[in-house]
Amino acid sequence: MLSESFLKSLSGLRLWSVKRRPGTYTGERRSTRRGRSVEFADYRDYVPGDDPRRVDWNVYARLERPYIKLYEEEEDLAVHMLLDTSASMKWDEEADDLDSRPTQAGRLPPKWQRVAQLAIAMGHVVLSSGDRLIVETSTRARFGPKRGEAATSQLISFIEQQWQGGKGGQANLNQWLRNYALTSRGGMAIVLSDLLDESGCEEGLNAIGGKLDLNVLHTLGAAEIDPIIAGDLRLKDIETQSAQDVSLDQATLARYRERVQGWSSELNSFCRKRGGRYALIDASTPIEQIMLRDLRREGWLV
Amino acid sequence: MNILNPIALLFALLAIPIVLLYILRLQRREQKVSSTLLWRQVVLDREANTLWQKLRRNLLLILQLATLAFLVFALLRPYISLPGGLNGRLIVLMDASASMRATDVLPSRFDAAKEQARNLISGMGVGDEMSLILVDSNPRALTGITSDRGELLAALDASKASLGQANWAAAISLGSATANEQSTFIVISDGAHAEDLKLLQRQTRFVPIGVNGDNLSISTLSLRKTLRGLAAFVRVTNNGKQDDDSLVSLRADNGTLLDARTVKIPAGQSISWTINDIDANTASVRASIDKANHNNLAADDVVYAVSANTALRRALLVTRGNRFLEQALANLPNIQVSRAVTTGVTTLDSRPFDVYILDSMNADLSALPPHANVLFIGPQQVFTATDTFSNTGYVRTVSHPIAQSLNWRTVNVQATPLIEAPAWLKPIIQSQGGPLLFAGEFPAELAGKDSEPPLQRVVVVPFELRRSDLPLQLAFPILMLNSIEWLAPPQGMTIPASVKPGEVVNLPRGAQVSLPDTSALGGTTVTVDQRGFANTDALGPYTVTFGDVSGAFAVNFFNSIESEIAPSPQLVIGEQKENESNILTNNTLSQRELWRWLAALALLVLFVEWWIYQRGVPSLKGLFRR
Repeated sequence: MLSESFLKSLSGLRLWSVKRRPGTYTGERRSTRRGRSVEFADYRDYVPGDDPRRVDWNVYARLERPYIKLYEEEEDLAVHMLLDTSASMKWDEEADDLDSRPTQAGRLPPKWQRVAQLAIAMGHVVLSSGDRLIVETSTRARFGPKRGEAATSQLISFIEQQWQGGKGGQANLNQWLRNYALTSRGGMAIVLSDLLDESGCEEGLNAIGGKLDLNVLHTLGAAEIDPIIAGDLRLKDIETQSAQDVSLDQATLARYRERVQGWSSELNSFCRKRGGRYALIDASTPIEQIMLRDLRREGWLV
Repeated sequence: MNILNPIALLFALLAIPIVLLYILRLQRREQKVSSTLLWRQVVLDREANTLWQKLRRNLLLILQLATLAFLVFALLRPYISLPGGLNGRLIVLMDASASMRATDVLPSRFDAAKEQARNLISGMGVGDEMSLILVDSNPRALTGITSDRGELLAALDASKASLGQANWAAAISLGSATANEQSTFIVISDGAHAEDLKLLQRQTRFVPIGVNGDNLSISTLSLRKTLRGLAAFVRVTNNGKQDDDSLVSLRADNGTLLDARTVKIPAGQSISWTINDIDANTASVRASIDKANHNNLAADDVVYAVSANTALRRALLVTRGNRFLEQALANLPNIQVSRAVTTGVTTLDSRPFDVYILDSMNADLSALPPHANVLFIGPQQVFTATDTFSNTGYVRTVSHPIAQSLNWRTVNVQATPLIEAPAWLKPIIQSQGGPLLFAGEFPAELAGKDSEPPLQRVVVVPFELRRSDLPLQLAFPILMLNSIEWLAPPQGMTIPASVKPGEVVNLPRGAQVSLPDTSALGGTTVTVDQRGFANTDALGPYTVTFGDVSGAFAVNFFNSIESEIAPSPQLVIGEQKENESNILTNNTLSQRELWRWLAALALLVLFVEWWIYQRGVPSLKGLFRR
C-alpha cells in the first residue's frame, strides 16, 4: 500500500502537537507533569510525603527551608487515530451505479485508498517518533496502543483489514467520538473522516476537543469536492439509502462547490476555536504530496 | 390580426408528446453518492428562490413549448392588416358604378372606396407605382402608371361615381394593358354585379365596400295618352331584404302634386299603380320616393317620364271599308291614318304618305309615289295568283321584324291564293299549302338606272281579311303595329322616351336640347353636334327641338341591376372563388403575413434552448450582475 522508501522518508518526521499532554510512559516529549528528567523547571515548597531525594539541598543550606526541585518530565505522546470506516469512506466515485461494487482485487476506491495510505503514513510517523499509537475505527475495531517503528507492519495489516470488502455501514460520528472521548485519557486525537454524517459531527468533535488535542484530517474524494455528474438525477446515499432528486446544471454544481468550501471553512474555524487543527484532504492528491508537502507546510509534521 | 390557416392549430397537439417526453426524461437516473447531506443543503438553498427556481427547472420545457407555439402560430399564417403596404406596380380598379353611390357606408360607398385608395396611395413606398382606373360603364384610367402621389390623390379627389353599370371586362383589359408580371390588381368594389371579375387572371386583392343592400327604387314610370288625357304608371320595387313603407309622390313638370301615397312594399317585391286623368298638356311628370326607412341609394328614387313624342307618321288606308282594319290602325300610337278609295291621294303639304295600306284593292300602283311603303292585304292582280289553297295550317314563322311577338298558331284562314311572289318578297308565315304572309324590300337595281324604284318596303297578306279570323285574333293588332313600324320607321328624330344616364342619344345634328334643372348646366340649351347628344349625365326631362319638330326624352336611372345594391358576399376573381386570403378588411388595404417572423422567432428560441442546454441555466443573480 505504501512503498518501503516512502515509509523510510517519513521516519525522520515527527507529529507536531500543539499542546503538551501528560503521558503514561517516559518518552521524547515534554509532559505537563513535572518529573524526573534532567531539565530544571521550577521549585515548590516541600510538603510531608515528598521524596526527600528531590529536595534541593543547596537551596535548603542557603535559605534553611526545604524546596522541592521540579524538572520537566520528558514523556511519550498518546496519539489516538480515529479512523472513519463507514460506507461513505469506501464510496467508489468511479462506479456509476449501486451494483458495481469495487470487488476486484487490488483495486480500491481512490478515496479509501488515500484514507488508508494516510492512516498508515500518519501511524508510521507516530510509531517511528516513539509516540504511542492507538487506532480506533468507527466500527470500534482497535489497534494498539503500540510504540516503535516495528509496529508499522501490524498497523498496515490492521488498516488493510478495515476494507472489509467495501462494507462499512452507517457511522454515527457523534456517538462514536463522544464515547471515545469519555474513555480516553488525553493525548492527541487525529480524526480521519469525511465527516459526512446525517446527524453532523460537531458534537463528537467537541467532545474529542474537550479531552484530546483535536486534529481533523477531513478527507473527501475528488468527486465530493468537485462533482462531475450532470443532468436530472436521483442521488442515493450509500449509507442511509435516502434519495435526493437533483437537476444538475452548472449553477447547481457551482453552488455545491461553494457549499463544500463553506462547510470546510466552518469546520476549520470550529476546530481552531477548540485549539485544534483542521486540514481538508483531497483524496485525489498523491499521498507523497500530502505527507511531505501539504501537512508539513501546514505544520502538522516537522 | 387574422389567421389564414386555422387548421394548423391541430399542430398544437404536439405539445402533448413534448410534455410527455419531458416527464419521461424526468424519470431520473439513479446515482449513488457518498452522502446526500451536502446535496440536500444545496437543493434546500435553491428551493428558497421558489418561483424563479421552479421556472428555471422547467426552462427548457418552457422554451421547447415556446418554440412549438411559435411554429404553430407561424403555420396558422397570421397576418396583420396595414394601411397600404402592398408594393410593386398596383393597378387599382375603383368601382364607380351607380351602386357605389349607396349610403349604407357613410358618406357613401364611393367615398369609402376613395378613402381606401387614399390609404393605398399613402402606403406606397419608394419605387412603387400605381395606376387608378375608374370602372363605370366606360372605364378609364385616371392616371397612367405613376409614382407621383400628388397626381394620384388629385385624380382620386376628382373622381365621381357614375349612374351607370361597371364594365369590368373593359376595365380589366385596360388594366392588363399597363400591368407587368409583378403587378397586383386591387379591386375596390361593393362586388355587386361584378361577375366579370372572373376574367381577372392576375394576382388580385379585393377590397370589399358596403354592408347593406336595402334599397327602394322606382322601377317603372311611364306616361301615355288616354282618351281623358294622360295616365302615369308607377312601379316601386323593394330590392332589400326587409319590408318597407315608402311615401311615393308624382308631380307634373309645373310642380303640381298629382299623387302621393304611402305604400307598403314587401321585401324583394314590386308594387305598381296607375294615376289617370292627368292634364294632357303635361309635358313631363316626376315620381319620387320621398320617405322610406331602408333606402340606401338615392339615384333611383327620382324618375321622370315625358309625354309620348309627337312625331306622327301618316298612313293612307285605301279600302272600301274595313272596320277591323280601321280600328286596329286607329289604336296604333303616333300614326295618323287617312282613308281613301284610291291611291292617288296626296297630303296637304304634298308630301307622300309614310305608308300605304291597300285593302283588297285592285290598286293602281302607278299612282303611288316612288319609294312607297305598302301593306297589301288581299291584293288583286298585283301579284299573279296561280292557285288557291285551303290547307292553311300553320307550319313556321321566319324571323322578321313584322313577325315579332306574332302568334299565328291560332289564326285560321279559309282559302288563300297561291301567289307567285317575286324573289325579293320573302314568305314570313308558312302554312302547309303555301305562304300566308310576305315581306320584303324592293331592290333598287330592279328599277333600272334612270327610274326610281316604285316601292320600298312591302308587306303582303295574300288573303282577304274577311276570309279568315285574323282580325279577331290578338295577332292582328300586333301584325298591324309591326308592319307599320317596319314599313314606316320613325324618320328624322328617333327619340327614345327614356334614356339611361351617360347614354348617347342619336339626335340629328343641329338639334337644340334644353337640359333639365338637375344638370350642372341646368336650364341651358345645347346644340347637338355630329356625334349625337352625350350630355345625358343628369337625370331629368330633356326637350329637343329640330326645325319644326320637337320632342322630349327623360334620362332616368332605371337600372334594375344597379338598384340591387347588395354587396356581393362571395366574389369570383379569376378562376378561384374569392377566399379570405384575398379579401382585405374594410379599414385597411394590405395584409402582412407574420409567419416568417414567427418562424425566425421559433428558431431563435430553439437556439436559446440549445444554448441553455449546453451551458446550463443562467442564475437570476448572474443575469442581474451582467
